[in-house]
Amino acid sequence: MRGPGIRFDSVALELGGTEILSGIDFDVRPGEIHCLIGPNGGGKTSLLRCLLGQMPHTGTISVDWQDTKVIGYVPQFLDFDKSLPVSVNDFFGLVCQKRRPAFVGLSKRNRDLTDAALARVGLNGKRESTLGSLSGGERQRVLFAQALIPEPALLVLDEPMSGMDEVGAEYFERIIRELAADGVTILWVAHDLRQVEAMADAATCVNRSVLFSGPPAQVLVGHEAEVLFARAGERAAEVATEDAAS
Amino acid sequence: MTAMYDWIRETLMNLAFEGTLPLAFQYGFVINALLCALLIGPVLGGVGTMVVTKRMAFFSQAVGNAAMTGVAIGVLLGESYTEPYISTFSFCILFGLVLNYTKGRTALSADTLIGVFLSISLAVGASLLLFVSARVNTHILEAVLFGSVLTVSDTDINVLLVVTVATLLIGIPLFNRLLLASLNPSLADVRGVPVRALEYVFVLMITVLTVACLKIVGAVLVEALLLIPAAAARNVIRSMKGFVFLSIAISTLSCIGGVLLPMQLDLPLPSGGAIIMIAAGFFVVTLLIRVTIPRFRDA
Repeated sequence: MRGPGIRFDSVALELGGTEILSGIDFDVRPGEIHCLIGPNGGGKTSLLRCLLGQMPHTGTISVDWQDTKVIGYVPQFLDFDKSLPVSVNDFFGLVCQKRRPAFVGLSKRNRDLTDAALARVGLNGKRESTLGSLSGGERQRVLFAQALIPEPALLVLDEPMSGMDEVGAEYFERIIRELAADGVTILWVAHDLRQVEAMADAATCVNRSVLFSGPPAQVLVGHEAEVLFARAGERAAEVATEDAAS
Repeated sequence: MTAMYDWIRETLMNLAFEGTLPLAFQYGFVINALLCALLIGPVLGGVGTMVVTKRMAFFSQAVGNAAMTGVAIGVLLGESYTEPYISTFSFCILFGLVLNYTKGRTALSADTLIGVFLSISLAVGASLLLFVSARVNTHILEAVLFGSVLTVSDTDINVLLVVTVATLLIGIPLFNRLLLASLNPSLADVRGVPVRALEYVFVLMITVLTVACLKIVGAVLVEALLLIPAAAARNVIRSMKGFVFLSIAISTLSCIGGVLLPMQLDLPLPSGGAIIMIAAGFFVVTLLIRVTIPRFRDA
């Protein structure tokens, strides 16, 4: 598997008169783990959605596909009624099967693929559990497992670690490393800077524009990004105090 | 089709006269209503699971109310008051499309917006229908609101047959994509699901189905038949397979029972009301099962 390279060239996004992103320029090299970091509300998820063709941006995003054009995507969360009788099996039916309705079950091929993906994230005993009965971390692992079917050339992760426990995080990091070793390009919105430092080949800090981009060992020196996170937190606290006072 | 319906009617009526079937089957209109019930029961039960999963119950209620306006407009424009399909389908489809188009273009939540449309459609529909029923036929009001098996014609059965087949042909192959789009639109989009287009497809499906079921279930109660069987199934089921098939079974039995029981027991009930009361009975039973039997509590 050879993952694609991605070039963001003067990407800008404006929604309802508000500038979300402006002058985004950076490259993601084929097969690298590239983390997007930055304060909440800085536009990281919007940038991913531009890449996925879900936001009407200006500028260009060119993806240099090598072998296959398969994107695996792990969203932040699923928006669903937790009381619904949608089992993990059903969810894979919804995601992986185009014509065969989930309520008649998985085809033999998809059942094998699902088994393998669930085993990879350590959830092979949860096939019959409903999504609503899983913990937040387990649900994130299910979301991660679906992104592995079919095997992606580009893996896009939107804060996949939110709500994930330590065990889930270990599975997650191991699979990320395996995929990267196979040549899959990974673009990952992350918050844990120690994790970024340990795993990423490159990190780009986005707060409406690109603040810095490069190898974590270089760009995270002096904890620049941590300062940014802290400032964003302080600003949020200030706004909350002002709101409460008014 | 009429020849086939005649053959079915004659066969069942003969069996009733011979005493093989209950006496209610000696009436052609009962058999017509039963044919309709056999068509709408499974479809509403199946589509109901999608409505519940996609949290669209409120929307189907709004379309049911809009159907009242459609019927009234049809009668005012000179359509037959027993089969005002052109105006009802046209108005309800327009209503559904406008509602869906507006949904993504206001700052309001979907619930609030549908509530606004529902209120408007109820006010306009009820006013126009009262006006029309006073001028043309007072039974229109009751038939449109709660359904009436007495007036089911071959045209009604044909309309239901076409809508049922179309719903199955569209709904089954698109089932996964329709539900995935509501679980996470971004994920669905990455998986190649045309999310916005499918929203319109689903809205059209619900709208057309609602209008086609008016004669049997009534404008006020169609939403209940989309909702209650699925809710009853949910009480005791924990997989999509059981959810869909139990909902279909409950909806079908409710429709058949709602048509036949009032006849058999000589009760002056509108078919819609009877169907929903039976469905409600299933809901209460499944709720009791859930509450009293431990292994169903985790379902």
